[in-house]
Amino acid sequence: MSSGSKSASSVPLLVRVRNGDAFAEYRLDAEPQRTVLDILEMLRSCGEAVPAYRHSCHHGSCGTCGAIINGVEALMCLTTVASLASPRPRLPGGPAVEPERDGRGAFVVSLEPLAKMAVISGIAVSPGAALAGIPLDAAYLGSVPDDGRSPLPPEPPAARVESAVWRPAGRRPAGRVRFEACIECGLCVSACPVAVPFIGPAALAAINREREKRPERAAAMRALAAAPDGVGPCGRHLACSRVCPQAVYPGKHIQLLRTALAQADTAGR
Amino acid sequence: MCTPSIRQRHPHRVCVIGGGGSGAALAYDLSLRGFLVTLFEKGELTSGTTGRHHGQLHSGARYAVGDRDIARECMEETLVLRRIVPDAIEYNGGVFIATDDAEADYAPAFIAACNEAGIPAREVPIAEARSWEPAITPTARRTVWVPDGSFDAFRVPLSFFAAARRLGATIRPFTEVVSIDVTAGTARSVTVRRAGSDHDERVDCDYIVSATGAWAGIVGAMAGFDVPVTPAPGTMVAVRGRVTDMVLSRLAPPGDGDIIVPQRGLSIIGTTQRVVDNPDGILPDDDDVAFLLRRADELAPGFSARAVHAIWAAARPLAGASTGDGREISRDFMVLDHPGMATLIGGKATVLRAMAEKAADHVCGVFCVNEPCRTRDFILPTWRDWYTEAL
Ligand SMILES: Cc1cc2nc3c(=O)[nH]c(=O)nc-3n(C[C@H](O)[C@H](O)[C@H](O)COP(=O)(O)OP(=O)(O)OC[C@H]3O[C@@H](n4cnc5c(N)ncnc54)[C@H](O)[C@@H]3O)c2cc1C
Ligand code: SF4
Ligand code: FES
Repeated sequence: MSSGSKSASSVPLLVRVRNGDAFAEYRLDAEPQRTVLDILEMLRSCGEAVPAYRHSCHHGSCGTCGAIINGVEALMCLTTVASLASPRPRLPGGPAVEPERDGRGAFVVSLEPLAKMAVISGIAVSPGAALAGIPLDAAYLGSVPDDGRSPLPPEPPAARVESAVWRPAGRRPAGRVRFEACIECGLCVSACPVAVPFIGPAALAAINREREKRPERAAAMRALAAAPDGVGPCGRHLACSRVCPQAVYPGKHIQLLRTALAQADTAGR
Repeated sequence: MCTPSIRQRHPHRVCVIGGGGSGAALAYDLSLRGFLVTLFEKGELTSGTTGRHHGQLHSGARYAVGDRDIARECMEETLVLRRIVPDAIEYNGGVFIATDDAEADYAPAFIAACNEAGIPAREVPIAEARSWEPAITPTARRTVWVPDGSFDAFRVPLSFFAAARRLGATIRPFTEVVSIDVTAGTARSVTVRRAGSDHDERVDCDYIVSATGAWAGIVGAMAGFDVPVTPAPGTMVAVRGRVTDMVLSRLAPPGDGDIIVPQRGLSIIGTTQRVVDNPDGILPDDDDVAFLLRRADELAPGFSARAVHAIWAAARPLAGASTGDGREISRDFMVLDHPGMATLIGGKATVLRAMAEKAADHVCGVFCVNEPCRTRDFILPTWRDWYTEAL
């Protein structure tokens, strides 16, 4: 089968999707701009039995479509056929090497479920355990600087929401807002090689952001970081920062937490 | 706004089919009114149309000239959502921009219609609008402020799912409904299949609501009902970086490529419209991309020079059969009453709560249950609550 009109630039693929102990395999040609997620959707709509996978937004925002694609954690909705047919690392942070091709010249695309998460079916995982360390009430909105622009106009009464009722203390910043960069995809957790109890890079990044955003919670956040499963087990492998699709750099946040702990320690002495 | 509790339990078992925004809000509303709810979604939650939409929290301004009632409802619902899911909304307001004389002439009718619908749109000097967002085209002819915003297409519904589950609803993703038994006007059961399983499971129930969006025709047919629905996909293009924090729209009757929605680190131009037969496997139309980027440049020059982050498409669940491109079909939602079952279809993600209210009212009517809707009254749990229980 092919994706839409088969053009000269179509790329031959052998797609292998983990299904329990086995792989389900599909051969197809796809256009370079198609994503791995597009391909699974195409196969499914053509009546193929495709192992279960998660997806929602198709643009790198919901964080559901993570998988280990040819050895490296990535979002299926942002990984294009073109990139799979070009040199890529086979390990987080590894050197880019020529893509694997099978005997018939097709580029091999193997999809495995994220690690450290319970598999529901196929490559669909339940990310609960990986995200459990993110404080439930950690702020998701951040402020955007005006950057030389005028502040946003005040809301007219008919568009105003009574803040005392709906704004849990300090939760929503005033002025321009945007969502945090972290999409809670868990790629960093899957890639992290630490094998002892560890709250994980996504949670530590959230804890550090929360510490920076809400001074009143700084001590509580430092306590989470200082716990035995906090920053301690991190071995500075930096796999988290390498696979993060949103440039959150969890490794940097972990370092900032260490610094904050050291400073609090000095101040307390 | 404290934690909701169920006032009175009712013994009626309601199966909701479809885990998009409509199903999410309905599972919550029915649970709050005391029904026993089980929801089935064939894939991940919101993997149909809901998760993929443009992300605009519609003040209703876009619809005001065409339909004041739809516009008024959007305005009311944006205020409700900003109260009950505050963290999953980027509320920064929006600007409608006239790019030529014809669009400038449209402004008075547009503002009057908005105001009639309760939307406090107001004309602002172009210089003022450009002081908020310098990316607005310097050739703008008129600018109008509106209370638009952006929302997280995935996390708003997930908060509703979390709220429903807290009230005892059973939410079953990766579980497809494969057949429906409605006999002599009475719903008896649905038969479902879990992803990766060969076994069918029969789930008895007393009533069924299909909230399956663009799939409603297929699901209706399982029960022998004719549900006219036209899947109408549209393409969206996200570029990296935020061109603006406010939503930018073209000051003209609704058309293609006339809205830029900022969201997180992206700016998203949309959308287009065509009609298809099969709502599965919708891919973006490659021809749409250049068109959309060109249209975006007319609102915010330089948009197309940014790196493209993603291109995708989603299918509108237009309620009705189309003879053309689907534009003649209303954007309103409706509850279609079949014996033993109902279909909740149409609408917008912005009005998911209102859609659920109407469908839950309908279910109350069927069982002569007198429970008012209370979903306006409580702040929903965070979407992170959804992940706290393993599936
Ligand atoms: C291009 C585009 C842009 C849009 N932009 C906006 C916007 O900016 N703002 C806005 O408010 N609205 C927007 N909308 C509208 C909005 O996305 C939809 O109205 C809304 O998401 C529909 O939700 P739903 O729950 O009714 O349908 P869906 O989200 O499609 O949910 C139906 C669900 O049913 C499931 N299903 C189907 N068959 C079965 C079965 N047999 N068993 C179990 N489950 C099944 C499907 O998998 C699906 O998840 C946009 C729509 C489109 C197409
Ligand atoms: S830090 Fe990056 S990789 Fe980790 S969950 Fe957040 S977005 Fe995903
Ligand atoms: S589908 Fe949402 S991040 Fe890929």
